[in-house]
Amino acid sequence: MVWTLFSIGGFVLFWALLSWLIGSDELPGPGAVWRAGVVQIASDDYFFHLGMTLARVGAAFLLSMSIGSAIGVFLGMHGGADRAFGGWLTLFLNLPALVTIILCYVWFGLTETAALIAVSVNKIPNVATTLREGGRALNRDLAEMAAVYQFGRIARLRHVVLPQLAPFFAVAARNGLALVWKIVLVVELLGRPNGVGFQLHVYFQLFDVATILAYALGFVVVVQIIELLFLEPWERHAARWRR
Amino acid sequence: MSGLRVRIARKAFGGSAILGKIEFDLAPGERAALIGPSGVGKSTLLNALAGLDPDFTGLIERPEGRIGMVFQNPRLLPWRTLAENIALVPGAGGMARARALLAEVGLEAAADLHPERVSLGMQRRAALARALATEPTMLLMDEPLVSLDPAAAAAMRALLISALERTGASALIATHDRRDALALADRVLELGGGPARLISDRASPLRRDERMDMAAIERAHATEFANE
Repeated sequence: MVWTLFSIGGFVLFWALLSWLIGSDELPGPGAVWRAGVVQIASDDYFFHLGMTLARVGAAFLLSMSIGSAIGVFLGMHGGADRAFGGWLTLFLNLPALVTIILCYVWFGLTETAALIAVSVNKIPNVATTLREGGRALNRDLAEMAAVYQFGRIARLRHVVLPQLAPFFAVAARNGLALVWKIVLVVELLGRPNGVGFQLHVYFQLFDVATILAYALGFVVVVQIIELLFLEPWERHAARWRR
Repeated sequence: MSGLRVRIARKAFGGSAILGKIEFDLAPGERAALIGPSGVGKSTLLNALAGLDPDFTGLIERPEGRIGMVFQNPRLLPWRTLAENIALVPGAGGMARARALLAEVGLEAAADLHPERVSLGMQRRAALARALATEPTMLLMDEPLVSLDPAAAAAMRALLISALERTGASALIATHDRRDALALADRVLELGGGPARLISDRASPLRRDERMDMAAIERAHATEFANE
């Protein structure tokens, strides 16, 4: 924690120095970005746009985690299905995000649904690939134990299968959050009337680099808080039994 | 009450046969050891008896009631404590009973530890407590004493003998150690050959009350397996 603060402090210093050396509006220093942020916050719009983006990130994240996990675990547990559809996964994994976004807007119109589908389609193959490994790694010994002792369906899922998948969920969630919010910004920039991506587009046209950085940093802070408050405690809880 | 009836004709993995003709019965309450060299097919037979592997030619009739199984690798859920591992088994009767069962195998102090934090011997004892939790009519044990140090093995052997005595369940205990077989069972079934067949089926020369006596076991081992 202390080292993280030192490290970030060092970065801010480096940034301030660089901006002072360049001495141009194209790279405003930390102070200028802070002031731009304060102006945005005072105008009320800041939290509205941040909130809209956060809502889209949350929805797309839940959608892609649940669908991607289901697909991945299924493929991991059924070799035949994996041979039949594994190629599809590779295909979607390598489909550029921009192409899916454009296609979704063309096919479904400039709607919220289209935006969420576009983000999810980008993320689902990632989650599925990670969870497929989890499905493959499921322990046969424990499955047999549960069979001999007549565990019910729910008990098997809760006590035998899900704890084995937890580390894979954690990896998918961590990579997922970062990827999803980056794609959400592009989706907003291309076809939504609000959100951080939309604001970035507006301030890009005004060449207001300080405000652009203020939005970007604001979101980095939010994602970091989610990580510290939810992901890390959950990972610690899930790993408490390890030696 | 019916016992176990085994009439296996053949069991193969892929093309290669592991088990050949294996036929025996086990009366209710009867305890048999299943001996034979490592890799001969003892675990394969136990898995078939437990119903884990229905892919064989022949017939297995199990006794009514539940089966308790002690696997060679204890197969406890590593993310649950020892007590939780027992309480999770349907019909085991909750945490209080789990603790009582753990106390019976000398693990009352370890009830709230996770399996990876205790020794293999303790894990085996917890697995035995789990097998006894559902009051099974038949116990299947796969090498319950293997890879334990001599002290832990002796403790586990004594525990197994008293647990078998108490439950009255019939039991089939796979082991590669003939002395353990004589100590634990009324009857010794020996698997041999490839594919494995039942090459001998004999009663233990020891009475149940003689089986804690190491000298008696040594004498029985010397006479029973003299010409091998």
